[in-house]
This record gives sequence, structure tokens and C-alpha cells, in this order.
Amino acid sequence: MNKPRLIIASAYAAILTIIFVVVVTIWAELAAPLKDWLKAFSGHHWTSKSIFSILLYIAATIAMYPIFQKSEGASVRRAVSLLIIFTVLGVVALAAFYTGHHLKFF
Amino acid sequence: MDLLAIIQGKPVLIGLHLGFAIIGIDAFLWLFGKLRGDGGSRKSMIITAAVGTIAFTASWIAGGYYYVTYYGTLVRPIIKSGLAPWAHNIIMETKEHIFLFIIPLAITVLFITFLEKKDMDRLGLRRPAGRLSLTIVILGLLIGAMGFIISAAARWGGITS
Repeated sequence: MNKPRLIIASAYAAILTIIFVVVVTIWAELAAPLKDWLKAFSGHHWTSKSIFSILLYIAATIAMYPIFQKSEGASVRRAVSLLIIFTVLGVVALAAFYTGHHLKFF
Repeated sequence: MDLLAIIQGKPVLIGLHLGFAIIGIDAFLWLFGKLRGDGGSRKSMIITAAVGTIAFTASWIAGGYYYVTYYGTLVRPIIKSGLAPWAHNIIMETKEHIFLFIIPLAITVLFITFLEKKDMDRLGLRRPAGRLSLTIVILGLLIGAMGFIISAAARWGGITS
């Protein structure tokens, strides 16, 4: 197994997972049918998001591993740096959304 | 009372959630120090990252079980009707979702520790890996602070003025 490629695939899969959590969470708050479907899937919307997010991360890591043929230092460093940036953006996006939702901006 | 019933008790679940999270935070803080100072063997870094990843997973399961089983019916109504409904609407809603970021981040750091030290240096990955490890620490501490606010809001939830 090529370890740098595994790191790149894992980092991009983690970014995809963060985007998924943010988008599905906001979408479900604004669209009751989606939240109801998430609740019906496992009994609780958060449990469903947990299951889907971890399955997405695993599937995306496996799917992306063969894609990244270039595994030199710059590619790995870029993937890790982007993961940090998307983590911060994800936290800010969710906090901003729930603040606005509480204040009834939307 | 059997062991399973004790573990499923509300104070025990909160204790496990917090305790495992502290172990996870400490492990990745320790790993950050190792990466920054070039200290410790590859094996010790793998063990540290694995301990942190397992601890965060255990914290996720214990906290998730508590949240799904008890929080919505017992704690949420107290906070929502108390002095600080925003503690649920903003803090808890954000906390429960950003926790889902941690496991993929932790596993990515674990994969980085699988590299031989010479490969980590050749790829120039020591500093970025340290920053990612520190991101996990900060995220864990942020989630801990949010948990404190939520607990305080529930504790004072019965007081309305």
C-alpha cells in the first residue's frame, strides 16, 4: 500500500465528509421531509448523519485511493492543509447557520 | 444492577463521553509535541494516534447514546424553557454536528504516523501533520467548552429570572 496516496485519499474523503455533514445538516433544518427521512432511517436524525458520514468517509477513501497517482510531498501537504481549512470553514458555517436560525434570519 | 445498566446510567455516560474525549485531546496534543520536536519513535507515534482515535470513537459512542436516549426528552426541554435557549439552539446543535468531523481527521493523522520517519521528512509532512493534530486538539477543546455551556444551561434551566 502506498502510504502517501492513502493519506491524500483520507484527507480528501474527510473534506467530502465535512461538506456532507454541513450540507445535509443545513438542508435538513430547512426541509422537514429530509429531517423526517433521516429520523425514520435510524430512529434519530443525528444517528443517521453519523452512519452516513462514516460510511461516506470509508467509501470515499477507498474510491479515491487509486485516483491520486501523484503522491509527492506537495500533493500530500496540499491535501492536509485543505483539510484543516475545510474543518475551520465547517465549524464556522454550522455555528453561523444555527446562530442565524436561532435569530430567525432564515 | 448489572454492569450494562451501570454503563447506561446518565452520569456514567456523560463521564465516559468526557473522559474519553480528554484522553483523545491529550493523545493528539502529545502527538503534536512529538511531531514538532521530532521526538519519539514511529511506533510510539502510531500508538499515540491510535489511542487518540479509539478514545474519540468511544467518546462519540457514549455521548451519542446519551444524546439520542436522554438528551432530547430530559435535558433539551429544560434548556429551551430556561434562561438560555440559545445554548441548545446554537451551541448544542453546532456541537453535535462538528463532533462528526473528528473521526475522519483522527484517522488521517493515524495514517500519517504510518510513514517511516525519513519518508515524513522527505515529504515535508512533519509540520502539516502537527498542525492537523493541533486542529483536532482545538476542536476537542471547543467541543468541551460547548458541553460546559450546555451543562450550565441545563443546571440553571429551572431559574427563569
